[in-house]
Amino acid sequence: MTDVHTHEQELLKEFLAGATLFLGPDPEIMLDHDIAPISERERGALDRVTDTHMAGVVRSRVEAGVNEAFAMSSQTGACPGARWGDSVCGLFTANGDLAISSNGGILIFSVLTQHAVKFIAKYWIDDPSVGVRPGDGFAHNDARYGNIHNTDSSVILPIFHDGELIAWVGCITHVGENGAIEPGGMPTIAETPFDEGLKMPPIKLVENYELKRDLITFLQNSTRDPKLIYEDMKSKLYACIRLKERLEETITQYGVDPVIAVLRGTLDDTKEEVKRRISEWPDGTTRSVAFSDGTLRENLLLKINLEMRKNGDQLVLDFRGSSPEFQNRSINTQAASMKGMLAQLFLGYIWPDLPRNQAVLAPIEIVLDSRSVLNAADEVPNAQSMMTFFFGYSAGQVAVAKFLYSATNRYTKILAPWYNMIQTFIYGGMTQHGEPAANLCADLNGMSGGARDGLDGENAIALASCAMSDLGEQELSEEENAFVQIISKKIMRDNQAFGKYRGGQGYQMALAAYESTTWGFASFCVGSKFPTISGLFGGYACPAYPLAKVQGVDVFDTFKHDPGSFKWTIEEIMNERPFEGAVYSTHHMGFPFELAKNGELYMCTQGAGGGYGDVLERDPAAVMKDLEQELISDWTAQEIYHVVYDPSSFVVDPEATAQAREAERDRRKQRGVPYADFVREWVTEGPPADLPFYGSWGDREVIYAGGYAGQPHVRMRSDAIQDVVVPHPREVRIASLEATVAELQAKLREQ
Amino acid sequence: MKQISVDVGGTFTDCFVVHNDELIETKALTTHHNLAVGFMNALGQAADILGVRDASTLIAEADAVRYATTLGTNALIERTGRNVALLVTAGYESSVPLSRGKGYGVGMPPQYQADVASASRPEPLVPIQRIRGVQERIDYKGDVILALDEANLRSQIRELVDVGAQAFVIAFVNSVVNPEHELLAEEILLKEYPSHMLGSIPVVLSHVVGGRKGEYVRTTSAIIDAYLHDEMFFGLGSLEDVLRESGYTKPMLVVHNTGGMAQVNSTHALQTIHSGPVAGVSASEHIATEFDLGNVVATDMGGTSFDIGLVVQGGVKFYDFNPIMDRWMVNVPMMHLVTLGAGGGSIARYDRMYKTVQVGPGSAGSDPGPACYDRGGTEPTVTDADLILGYLTPEYYAGGKVQLNPRRSKRAFEDRLCGPLGADLLDAAKLVKHRVDLNMANAIAEEVRTKGYEPSEFTFLAYGGSGPLHCCGIAAELNIERILVPPFSSVFSALGAGQMRHMHVHEASVYLWLYNATRGHLLEDFSAVNAAIDELEARGRDDLLRQGFDDSAISYSVEMDMRYGNQLAETSVESPVRRINSLEDLMLLVKMFSEDYGIRYGAGSQAPEAGIRINSIRVLASVPSVGISLDQPQVAQTKLVRSERSRPCHFVGHDGPMDTSLFSVEALLPGSVIEGPAIIESPRTTSLVEPGWTMTIGHHGSGWVKRG
Repeated sequence: MTDVHTHEQELLKEFLAGATLFLGPDPEIMLDHDIAPISERERGALDRVTDTHMAGVVRSRVEAGVNEAFAMSSQTGACPGARWGDSVCGLFTANGDLAISSNGGILIFSVLTQHAVKFIAKYWIDDPSVGVRPGDGFAHNDARYGNIHNTDSSVILPIFHDGELIAWVGCITHVGENGAIEPGGMPTIAETPFDEGLKMPPIKLVENYELKRDLITFLQNSTRDPKLIYEDMKSKLYACIRLKERLEETITQYGVDPVIAVLRGTLDDTKEEVKRRISEWPDGTTRSVAFSDGTLRENLLLKINLEMRKNGDQLVLDFRGSSPEFQNRSINTQAASMKGMLAQLFLGYIWPDLPRNQAVLAPIEIVLDSRSVLNAADEVPNAQSMMTFFFGYSAGQVAVAKFLYSATNRYTKILAPWYNMIQTFIYGGMTQHGEPAANLCADLNGMSGGARDGLDGENAIALASCAMSDLGEQELSEEENAFVQIISKKIMRDNQAFGKYRGGQGYQMALAAYESTTWGFASFCVGSKFPTISGLFGGYACPAYPLAKVQGVDVFDTFKHDPGSFKWTIEEIMNERPFEGAVYSTHHMGFPFELAKNGELYMCTQGAGGGYGDVLERDPAAVMKDLEQELISDWTAQEIYHVVYDPSSFVVDPEATAQAREAERDRRKQRGVPYADFVREWVTEGPPADLPFYGSWGDREVIYAGGYAGQPHVRMRSDAIQDVVVPHPREVRIASLEATVAELQAKLREQ
Repeated sequence: MKQISVDVGGTFTDCFVVHNDELIETKALTTHHNLAVGFMNALGQAADILGVRDASTLIAEADAVRYATTLGTNALIERTGRNVALLVTAGYESSVPLSRGKGYGVGMPPQYQADVASASRPEPLVPIQRIRGVQERIDYKGDVILALDEANLRSQIRELVDVGAQAFVIAFVNSVVNPEHELLAEEILLKEYPSHMLGSIPVVLSHVVGGRKGEYVRTTSAIIDAYLHDEMFFGLGSLEDVLRESGYTKPMLVVHNTGGMAQVNSTHALQTIHSGPVAGVSASEHIATEFDLGNVVATDMGGTSFDIGLVVQGGVKFYDFNPIMDRWMVNVPMMHLVTLGAGGGSIARYDRMYKTVQVGPGSAGSDPGPACYDRGGTEPTVTDADLILGYLTPEYYAGGKVQLNPRRSKRAFEDRLCGPLGADLLDAAKLVKHRVDLNMANAIAEEVRTKGYEPSEFTFLAYGGSGPLHCCGIAAELNIERILVPPFSSVFSALGAGQMRHMHVHEASVYLWLYNATRGHLLEDFSAVNAAIDELEARGRDDLLRQGFDDSAISYSVEMDMRYGNQLAETSVESPVRRINSLEDLMLLVKMFSEDYGIRYGAGSQAPEAGIRINSIRVLASVPSVGISLDQPQVAQTKLVRSERSRPCHFVGHDGPMDTSLFSVEALLPGSVIEGPAIIESPRTTSLVEPGWTMTIGHHGSGWVKRG
């Protein structure tokens, strides 16, 4: 009976293998974040290469090659992402694991490319219609096959030695434009994956080290910027070829076994070292929660829930209880993307000295609810996954910091959360030179650093996922694009997460279209109503940042005829409303692309990093320094930090300050209530009916969704999440207007 | 010929004197309180050697005095510049403090750059309190969008003077395409604080310092220029005074980091940064040409740093268009140099994860220095490894000026490395030696290969205190067959200063499609590009005419920074024509660009399909000067020599001690051939000829080290 059953299963398997309609993302590949089991080839190489010092020599040669390829792709890439650091190069084992990533660039890109490499290895090598041969190259951009989102794309080359596939090299860049429903590659209004532009699974784009012109033409034909697509694919291809050459030279000098042994050994060594470092932390559980305030189309409250458990060398990151996925919003994250960002967290902010490879996450267990917003299904859109995985990362920063506080060894400073949102403008249209263009301003790289144990955070310093990212030069941008950044880099006063050590501060931007009638802007981040990051150990969260617009004005005309009326901060422009007849408005930062008239102002603010510790413990001299540099106002110095000083000389009165701070401590005590009273007053069974809330409320196995636009809260088990569909904003608006009309009609009838 | 060339460094003032047929090298300690004292001391030594009455006599008789210095670099590091205030376009007040975000890591090693949680930006040269926005704006093509508000400017100036401004930088957006507002602001500032009044304040305009777009890097260039102005002015002034007092009537010439030189009154302070090391590359260039060495990789390994410069055949020059000065990125062109934090003081540590040894980037510097210096250092360093392996004579280090304590080296190695490595003292020291050689070899390989060349095609020039000690190990890793320890290697930068031409470099940003891919058009109207070249040539000509040169002596070279489409990369191409007057000229330029690009990024990587742009134009206006002729390092008559002195030394790749000959450089005649393993000691450096290598002694302390 068993034999018959087995036979039938084999028959079925054989039939299905020959009748597979579609090679979609493979869960076996996508859900596994461990390094692949060691192959016989790798084991043999490791057995033969026992000299750790020689392996070190080979490793440094290979690393130099990866860094050279990265430098080359940054130099020759045309998209702002490549030019300002949002790219990476990596070297993968024959199994597809990322073993060595370039020092520069966005690590998460290369970590996630492992999945695409594994897909190619699993499906295309033996497929006679595709195959993998020397000189072939592959490209992909679809996050469901391993990526953050499809605005980033890769080129991947197999490396052969004497006919044997021994490794893969890859180069990945944030390209931008991808033919999505909105220009620039990261659509906020996408409601299905098909609104998100090109979705490339790993495809063979290169043969004999040449781009296949028919496929490139197809890609160019599918996007708004054919020049960009061509140039960037070529740039990545040649960076990969350079890395391939370096690898071959290393093999020529040292042999193939040392290279294979180094790639595998680096992964194994990293995994073991991570376990050792985890064991340095105290055992226990920490918890952290973060809230996103929207989907980029409407303001809802999405919960990201994290419990971190550590025991010995075991570490579990348990995100159960987080928001469910959204069927028709692009903020969903693939599980692999979330894990990629966690790799970035550990390698960027916890153990920055470790080699940059995927094994950092291998010993760590990550638990995610299926169909949660951090582990979304393939059928939902994901172009804006940063809107949720950044919260997972920020929650992780807080939870880890609690362990590190008591850890015996630290490898960098304890850090309050980095600012985590993409505060920048996407632009698109015809330039002043008649060229089509669609991309984003390099200001996304200006996220501010969180405060540190013993140090303030650095103002607008780097993208959370990319050390040494670059804010670029506005003169160069304006030369190529039809807009002027009138206020470009000006730190916003009081835009600070307060604390004993304050977070870094962000700057304000005001820009306007210039010399083009077909130019427009969009923006895409959340956090205009609720802070996206918290503070640490009593430090404040960052502020919330709206988008501000002034329409019905041409500021260039104002500059000509009434220059004195222009104001040079968002605060003054929006509060004083200096342009007569203009329309002033604020919005959340999920702002779909719109054409802009020349001279209309679009304004946003780069965010602040989280604060660390109690404001009443901040050194008054540091407060005065911030005040003197106009980073904070007198109000903040006096009402937040409770410093008493002479405003004309900034000289602190230490005794009066001590008294003022003591008085504030007393007021805190007066405001406080016993815990039981607090619980009685605040704890409820579920979310208030009118609160648009998504995620667990108390029990993490019970998920709520609803409370928006008249939709009641749905209550569901975390292992049985139902479809969550949010009505189109236009429908919500129509319903609202219809209700108003009905109300007015009713009143008229009464009259 | 009678010529004096000087390189004033942080520790030593090096002097190279040409006196008729005699070539003299001397060194004296740099005297920071008055540079002229150290200069005269070094020159006094030369006078003694030559039998000339005194230093003043040498000066009075000199045809030229040339001067390279790292003083500016030191002043930048030590923050001894003046209080600079900054006026920028309103809305851009935080551009400099934010330093493009990545400014925290610029000039720092990769390990620091990666650790953003610990990162801090450097202490600013201009604090936020001394930065003010001025209401004005010019667009990308030079049109005024917002006229400069003079009342606003005046009030900002007064506020800055009130907070202690001692110098002003005016850096407005797009001033390189229209300097009108910067000039107007300067005029107003000088009216408020006239130059004849005691309270006058110097002003630096960004478009004068840098001609290319990039508001942050250009502003930073101008800030550094203003910051260093006093230091350089007084430093150079004190020297010029001494020259005058000694009867020297010609202008003193200052080496620029572009690889040229000019009179003091035609020199920006910014142009002197790194001019010492650049002069070293210049000397390498001269030697490569004179001795027909082919491609040369020039390396200067000192106690804390390792400089790499490239000289290749065919007239290709490598420039950094955004060089790093201390921890700031600027946008004035500088001869390309890479500096690694690797030297004798580099600290070795155990790498627990990979169970091997790592060297650097940490350094014990010169204070406390390596453990063997006996000044409190406890970390094992490269110099300690060299001592343990037997390469250094404890009582003759730096000519006996520093007594080395081998016990300290042993202790440091045993405490920090031997245990975790599970290695004995000698094996641990070999690992350190191998590792540092490999690090430097990797850096050279990366440098050479990213330019499209192969290291094995190069001659390796090794100078600086530690260079000749590690050159065999580095060359072996690179498959380089021949090493030249150049003549006068201990004053090599001073020698380079003596070889330079008078040169001025001017640049301008342009936005010009040679081939517009979107429209399928090739450039037909060449007037804009030619007008830009005309103007840059005129500026270079004015600079040189001002210094007394005849118009007919001036030659020009035109370079174009070109790119495909919207790339960041700008490949600098020396234009085959000085003006573009025909499609043929244009295609020549395109062809040259394509070839250069292909060499650098790989054949086939060119992407003309995306369009071809010129982003900036650079004109080098120069007048050649008479170089110093050196004797060939090859000597016709060679003779194998042996030493009676020897000691056991240990070498990477060789088990057990090897009997190693010891020579004193003074005792070796040109033509002497020394087989490795051997050590050649001089008061300034130690050369190590590793097993399998042979050194042939040339003239003036030079030596060829070859395999076999």
